[in-house]
Amino acid sequence: MFLVWLAELIVFALVVAGILSERPAALAATGAALVAAALLLRLAPGLRRRLAEAFAAERGAALAGGAALALALPFALRASPYWTFVAALALLYVTIGQGLNLQIGSAGLINLAGAAFAGLGGYTVGLLTVSAGWPAWAAVLAAPWVAVVVGTLLFVPILKTRGHYLALVTIAFVFIFNILMNNLEFTGGPQGIKNIPTLRLLGYAFTAKPVVFGVELPAHANFYYAALLTAAVATAVLRRLHDGWLGLVLNTLRDDEIAARCAGVSVTRGKLLAFCIGNFFIGLGGALYAVMVGFVSPPDFDFGYSLIMLSVIIIGGVDSIPGVVLGACLLLPLPERFRFLHEYRLLLYGLVIMFMLLYRPQGLWPVGIRRYR
Amino acid sequence: MRLLEVQGLGVRFGGLVALDAVDVAVGEGETLGVIGPNGSGKTTLFNALTGLYAPAAGRIRFGEHDLVGLETHRIARLGIARTFQASRLCLGLSVFDNILIGMHARRRSGLLDAVVRRGRLRAEMREAVERAAHLLALFSRELPARGFERVGQLPQIDRRRVEICRALASRPRLLLLDEPSAGMNPEETAELMRDLAVVREEMPGLSMIVIEHDMFVIEGVSQRVVALNYGRKIAEGPFAAVAAHAEVREAYLGRESARA
Amino acid sequence: MPPLELLLQQALNGVMLGVMYALIAVGFTLFFGVLDVIHFAHGDVFMLGAFAGLSALLGLAAVGLTGGLLALPLAFAVSMLATGLVGVAAERVCVKPLARSSPLMTLLATLSLGLVLREAVLIFYPRGADPKPFPRLLPQGGFEVGGVVVRWENLVILGIGFAAMVAVDLVINRTRMGAAIRAVAQDPEAAQMMGVNLDRTVDATFFLGSALAAVAGILSGLYYSEIHFIMGITGGVIGFSAAALGGFGNVYGAIVGGLLFGLLQTMAAALIPRGSEFRDVVAFAVVMLFLVVRPRGILGEKSVERV
Repeated sequence: MFLVWLAELIVFALVVAGILSERPAALAATGAALVAAALLLRLAPGLRRRLAEAFAAERGAALAGGAALALALPFALRASPYWTFVAALALLYVTIGQGLNLQIGSAGLINLAGAAFAGLGGYTVGLLTVSAGWPAWAAVLAAPWVAVVVGTLLFVPILKTRGHYLALVTIAFVFIFNILMNNLEFTGGPQGIKNIPTLRLLGYAFTAKPVVFGVELPAHANFYYAALLTAAVATAVLRRLHDGWLGLVLNTLRDDEIAARCAGVSVTRGKLLAFCIGNFFIGLGGALYAVMVGFVSPPDFDFGYSLIMLSVIIIGGVDSIPGVVLGACLLLPLPERFRFLHEYRLLLYGLVIMFMLLYRPQGLWPVGIRRYR
Repeated sequence: MRLLEVQGLGVRFGGLVALDAVDVAVGEGETLGVIGPNGSGKTTLFNALTGLYAPAAGRIRFGEHDLVGLETHRIARLGIARTFQASRLCLGLSVFDNILIGMHARRRSGLLDAVVRRGRLRAEMREAVERAAHLLALFSRELPARGFERVGQLPQIDRRRVEICRALASRPRLLLLDEPSAGMNPEETAELMRDLAVVREEMPGLSMIVIEHDMFVIEGVSQRVVALNYGRKIAEGPFAAVAAHAEVREAYLGRESARA
Repeated sequence: MPPLELLLQQALNGVMLGVMYALIAVGFTLFFGVLDVIHFAHGDVFMLGAFAGLSALLGLAAVGLTGGLLALPLAFAVSMLATGLVGVAAERVCVKPLARSSPLMTLLATLSLGLVLREAVLIFYPRGADPKPFPRLLPQGGFEVGGVVVRWENLVILGIGFAAMVAVDLVINRTRMGAAIRAVAQDPEAAQMMGVNLDRTVDATFFLGSALAAVAGILSGLYYSEIHFIMGITGGVIGFSAAALGGFGNVYGAIVGGLLFGLLQTMAAALIPRGSEFRDVVAFAVVMLFLVVRPRGILGEKSVERV
């Protein structure tokens, strides 16, 4: 158990150091440490095996350790409200990614309209709070359902089209969504919806700087914890669905629809469930984004973001629940860290996806076999 | 009253007649063989029975149900299971995964059970895995141990067995086997026939229809045989009678040989 | 109900747009016919063609060649060649290696390639984020027929577009390479057994499709008098939709689909209030509806799954 915690602590330290190092000496030291760790793992298969066994045997401890470190992250980052924000954003992408992964990874439904469903969540929050006066927490709880309901409008195309046709339908949808948001008055047009009130729970406003154990954290830490909770719930729910009958049914209809039908699988029900459950979580991510940032506008939810969501899944591993977490945590912060690369961000995303597809299509954390424990 | 009664079944693809006025019946516990040259409509028959093709004419009665117009998954849940000429397995999934899908229609736990109060789901799935292992053990002592391996790593004969187990997993009343010995050498074919004998023994009430090109298998497995040619039934009866039937010989061997 | 002249005017515009869309759509449909792949980067190849053409024109102007009659054909030639080669490179890098994986992989790979091409232009072309003016090289002015203004520009664009389509038809139906393409589209294995070099045929197909997209790109620049690095996204989606409308694998279908799509857009702009803002919405919605109702396209798609 201690081996597991030690490994997690080392990774945590490296990550934080990597994020926060500013001076060349510190940067160099961190870089060297990362390279050393990677080499160690690569060249010492015995060590790799022991680690893998330890993690497999002590799953409870690993999860507890990981959770503790995740809770501690804002403390380590407290000097940088910006990085706290980035961390929160990464967690939102975990939530969105788990939803999208159910559709694309588990069920093989090529949904390129992820940005539109996130946008439905975000805009619904904006409209409910600014135009209808709802409290933020109620809007966030209601918004994902809007994404689900609108998603069902697409349902007939989803059922009746395959593969590339489905991709086309979803691309068309995200474009339509974008154009509508840009041109309809009640959605604020190109300016979007501004001044979305922040989350308030039991009188506590999320714009206040929290003081935990006597330490003052940036205001964004509130959203970090909210996003962490949401991501944890999303991951747990999707993990359990994946390991149960639904995951099995979706995988089968993804791999061979005819065999699935002949085995008694209702393709309609399977696809509908995958699409709706997935859209719920995607919309939830978008809803939280709206309260976190305080405004929504059409460029926030365009086709490019669908591609970013897609890359999270491909890099992590198609149909892989832990892969989504890894993908989001890698893909969001890295371009922020290498600011000088910021201009090249999308270009690099594209190249990385191509590289992954050609050389490691199973992703960085490939989906494992169901063990039915 | 027989378990399955097909009357006047006709299937067309545009102008092409794949099946023409075919009558077939299978009783409980009976194994029917179906032979015929390539393109004679054998697989089309299976596809029509399982609802993948919509018949242009005719009736299909299974038990008390009329199958024409029903969706494939509903027909499967009524108790018809099948294998495919070119194995349709999910190669990236494990052996157990591939078999368990056959049991999902009879599951008792729902989505909520997956997410909260998971005890019920986990117990159900453990039971399902045990049953899958039991089915595999009918055919091979080594297979159950390989249950968590990806199906793509198994040899052809074992994949065929997994496919049969998937079909049996749903506790069907009628099992449709489409050329189970395709691609097998004589040793594997002999093993297959032993497998089918085991199935017959374990599930005496199970009816089967077996499409085959290998006459040895047909002879060993079926009680009655139906021969198709160009979508029509040209002979029916015990194997020996059908094999000797002039039209059947002509369909397979050509006119000169038939007269010889 | 708008006056007849307006409708006719919009119909003319629709045909012009349609010709450009058709040229992109033919590429999509050829790639699907030959390799069973949807080449999602094709729209961005169209954009590249426009930029290549622009660069050629600017380069020619720098050495003093500015006349439309001389510079334009040269620009077309340069762009078609360059874009064709890029198309072949794209296929070699991210289509062929994935030919045996699931179609999802190819779709994602080409989607990413499109992203890379787009971002490359944005980053590396001087001030890539801004729309770039395209030289007005076509004869100005026009004439009026029954209330409809016909500009010489329009006729030239139409002419070039139709010429390109006729050229494609000739290549596909009257050349050996075209026969090879048709053979591979129908049955790759049989074609190989008859001596067709699969790799070269696929290369040729991608060259042809990409060169056509380059023509469309330059025509688009001439029509709108400007080009923008994001024009490939909508161009690609529209071209793809047009090919789908006509049935993938069917070249005539792609042409019909392209023309229909152009007409759809302009008629929607004319007939629906605030139509010009929403014309893309209408067009896409119609395509979505069509795909649901008749996924095989107007003229029929080429393949069916065997059970």
